[in-house]
Amino acid sequence: MTRHTINKFACLLVAILALGLPLVIRSATYLHILILLYFYAYLTSSWNLVGGFAGVLPLGHAAFVGIGAYASTILYLQYGVSPWLGMIMGGVLATIVGILIGLPTFKMRGAYFALATIAFAEGIRVMIENIDKLGPFVINGPRGLQIPPLKLGLGNFMFASKEPYYYIILIMLVAVLLITYSISRSKLGYYLNAGGEEPEAAMALGVNVARAKLIAMAMSSFLTALAGTFYAQFTLYIHPKSVISLDLSFEIAFIALIGGRGSIAGPVLGALLLRPVSDFSRIYFGDTLPGLHLIIFGVVLILVMLYQPRGLQEPLTRLYNKLVDRLVGGKVGEAQNEYS
Amino acid sequence: MNILEIKDLYKDFGGLRALNDLSLSIEQGQIFGLIGPNGAGKSTAFNCIAGVYAPSGGEIYFNGEQINGERPWNLCKKGLARTFQIVKPFATKTVLYNVMVATFARTNNRSEAEQKAVEVLESLHFEKKKDLRAGNLTIADRKRLEIARALATEPKLLLLDEVMAGLRPSEVDEMVAIIKQLRTRGITIFVIEHIMRAIMALSDHVVVLHFGQKIAEGAPQQVASDERVIKAYLGDEYVISAG
Repeated sequence: MTRHTINKFACLLVAILALGLPLVIRSATYLHILILLYFYAYLTSSWNLVGGFAGVLPLGHAAFVGIGAYASTILYLQYGVSPWLGMIMGGVLATIVGILIGLPTFKMRGAYFALATIAFAEGIRVMIENIDKLGPFVINGPRGLQIPPLKLGLGNFMFASKEPYYYIILIMLVAVLLITYSISRSKLGYYLNAGGEEPEAAMALGVNVARAKLIAMAMSSFLTALAGTFYAQFTLYIHPKSVISLDLSFEIAFIALIGGRGSIAGPVLGALLLRPVSDFSRIYFGDTLPGLHLIIFGVVLILVMLYQPRGLQEPLTRLYNKLVDRLVGGKVGEAQNEYS
Repeated sequence: MNILEIKDLYKDFGGLRALNDLSLSIEQGQIFGLIGPNGAGKSTAFNCIAGVYAPSGGEIYFNGEQINGERPWNLCKKGLARTFQIVKPFATKTVLYNVMVATFARTNNRSEAEQKAVEVLESLHFEKKKDLRAGNLTIADRKRLEIARALATEPKLLLLDEVMAGLRPSEVDEMVAIIKQLRTRGITIFVIEHIMRAIMALSDHVVVLHFGQKIAEGAPQQVASDERVIKAYLGDEYVISAG
């Protein structure tokens, strides 16, 4: 067996597992947990385009989730626009907002950028919480919007069971992973990485760092907003606290930092590790110790940053490569693939 | 036409004039040296030319085109490349990745960028280290990487900012050979250097800066025996006792 066939085999195994899980798991609760796991992996992968490749730390991505969720929901409730179309329109709106946020903030460094993005996202949340009607659009302030599950079907992005949602978010996740993979190997990916690591050197080598970051921000906010629409259609009820909260922004960053920002597999690994913690702590300690999962995240984050500052994807990739080496037959130390 | 023409360039940082009325012109194909004691304004001059600082006054012409205040990435596309005195590798990436960032300045195609990067590395006898992480390189190799990256943008004029500082004598000789080889490819070279042996061996023409001011100019030997230059480097007493 060669390394290549083993990699292919592993991919096939993961694919079969992902596709077949809903057939095995009959419990709606577990399926729900899995769907949210993919949802967070998707969100973090979208975030990764800016937060990982471009080397900055945006902490306001919930704003784009909210924009996507509200845009498609308002369009559906008031104008009967299919959520699929609303999804795209929400994405476009989020892109515009993303560029407007990026233009002034990408000149800032480190913590200042993070703080500015928090401020923007919170601003949008507070606005939505306090507006009942924005022109012709009913927003309903803190009460949020409910989508009556009357017209089920693919066209209306509404289903009675969880399985369709599972496959939709799975497709979205695979798509975003393919996008990040191809970007990481493109000129843009090289420019983002270079600009994130040594902006001055990158500029001298012909990289317009600010422009590369803006392009990444535009793509990231577009993709993030799509997930907002998915969430709205999945839960059929959105309110500012659920889709634009700081908690959501922070959880994305937690997953990315622990999984490994700037890598393809990092966001997925992070979600795989952290989402179950968050869900089960909510199930078992939701009444007695609400917010326990955030404390656990914090502790895990500190440990990871101390011992694996590049995230858990690095040791896990190394482990995987070693395993493959063992299978291939002891040819240790061959070219390591960072994106297994 | 001169490839680089600087007229009455000056740069102020607050109340400090770091560079004062600097004028010089570099001919196509020259190796042009810029020397001076620490704090003389050499790197400031480079940063003004390379677009990192906007000059406070004066004019800079590159190939006859005025480039005052032009941004670094545009200058790179025009054919002006530079290295940094304090090396700035993309430390978590491989040597090849580092150079590919630079070759992407001339192509959008990944495989073409990779192929060009390998060619550049081969021309510097550096291709064996292409898969090493840049952060793990020795200082000599980091300096070489700086040159490889700058070279990979296919420059007409290359600004080298102290690429030999911190190198062992044998490594200095290697670097001198590399720079001479660059000239044979038709690249004009503007070099800041502290190591006199190297600058004397390399340069066709030398300008000496002191406190932001040009105090001497000419062929290397001529400049080295200039009284003002000796004063600037060693102090007044040395000139008196020597004279």
